[in-house]
Amino acid sequence: MSAGHDGWKDEVAAYVLGTLSPGEEADIERHLAGCEECRRELRWLRPAVDRLAEDVEIVEPAPDLRERVLGEVRADVKRARPQKAPRSSLFRSWRPVAALAAVALIAAAVAGYAIRDGESGGPQTTTVVAGKPPGVTATMVASGDTGTLKLANVGEMPADRVLEAWVQRDGKVEPVRALFVPDRSGRASTTIADTRGVEVVMVTAEPRGGSESPTSPAMVTLEMPG
Amino acid sequence: MKPERLADEELMPLIAAKDGAAFEVFYDRHGKVAFSLAYRIVGERAAAEDVVQEAFISVWRSGARYDRARGSVRSWMLGIVRNRSIDLLRSKTGRTPLDFDDDSILEHREASERTEEEALRNETAEEMRGAIGALPGEQSKVIELAYYGGFSHSEIAGMLGVPLGTVKGRMRLGLEKIRGDLAEGLV
Repeated sequence: MSAGHDGWKDEVAAYVLGTLSPGEEADIERHLAGCEECRRELRWLRPAVDRLAEDVEIVEPAPDLRERVLGEVRADVKRARPQKAPRSSLFRSWRPVAALAAVALIAAAVAGYAIRDGESGGPQTTTVVAGKPPGVTATMVASGDTGTLKLANVGEMPADRVLEAWVQRDGKVEPVRALFVPDRSGRASTTIADTRGVEVVMVTAEPRGGSESPTSPAMVTLEMPG
Repeated sequence: MKPERLADEELMPLIAAKDGAAFEVFYDRHGKVAFSLAYRIVGERAAAEDVVQEAFISVWRSGARYDRARGSVRSWMLGIVRNRSIDLLRSKTGRTPLDFDDDSILEHREASERTEEEALRNETAEEMRGAIGALPGEQSKVIELAYYGGFSHSEIAGMLGVPLGTVKGRMRLGLEKIRGDLAEGLV
């Protein structure tokens, strides 16, 4: 091992701990792509980082946490059952809503891939993309009755603000109780638990704790296809 | 076969297929350590519970996109919990809450406000345990600040007043020691 490689291995340690800047991460990833010795170091060190997750004092969570988590899961399962027949068409009731379409929809693609749902066929997956770099961009992937909304280029939020997602059904805007914050790289994601009948998805910055109705302009708006 | 008798890796396809019973087994296996990790990072029970709830529900609703190449299912799940905890912690940066105790307040301050004195105090706190507790102080300190505090290496260098290269070198030496102890079954 050359002396220079010690420097790269220090970078690998910082990388596996997740402490590098995006630019430094890109540098080490380029190096890793061509250096088996450093890839071996990465594989060697990763279990040490995994061990840190277990290296904590075990604390009992509140007794109702389990019920909160599993209650949501049971509700999802229950909701999914009567929805199996009409799954071939998501967002049937889409209508354009000009007032909310402040950010241009730059692409809309519908891809159909099946994941196991216990029956023949499977849910259709719909992907909608909005926004243009360097501004905020959004990708909504809806599968079955659930959607995953991912934002990029959000930038830093004031400490007293959070992102809140909203949906529009039948012309009426309602909160989806999805509060989230961007990470260091400006990316943020949340789940839209029920996408049935959704015409528009949008995101605003709201006071911590969320709002009952939007209090700021939408930073991104996605029109869902019918 | 009952889900209880399946390995984590075997539960994942069932969870992706929306098998609630399989998910219940998955939660029961990892929920408690996930909460403990989130609590260790965010320092508040309610916030840690929210992190755990959101992390597990995201796994459930996203179809359990587990990548075997990343390691065990448990490590993958705890990695999700850790990242969400750090994101929450950093989103609070700059706020100085009035009702936090001495042990948790460090985690809610602006990075630049954290002094070496605080970092040193943190070093001697009760969190020095297990694998990381066996490290020399200068190594455990940088690893704790990085992994549980979510600080970048440059922030850590600024806090401790040491060069970036020194921080990275200490990280590597510390991780190498933990890894070696793991290989020898010492931790």
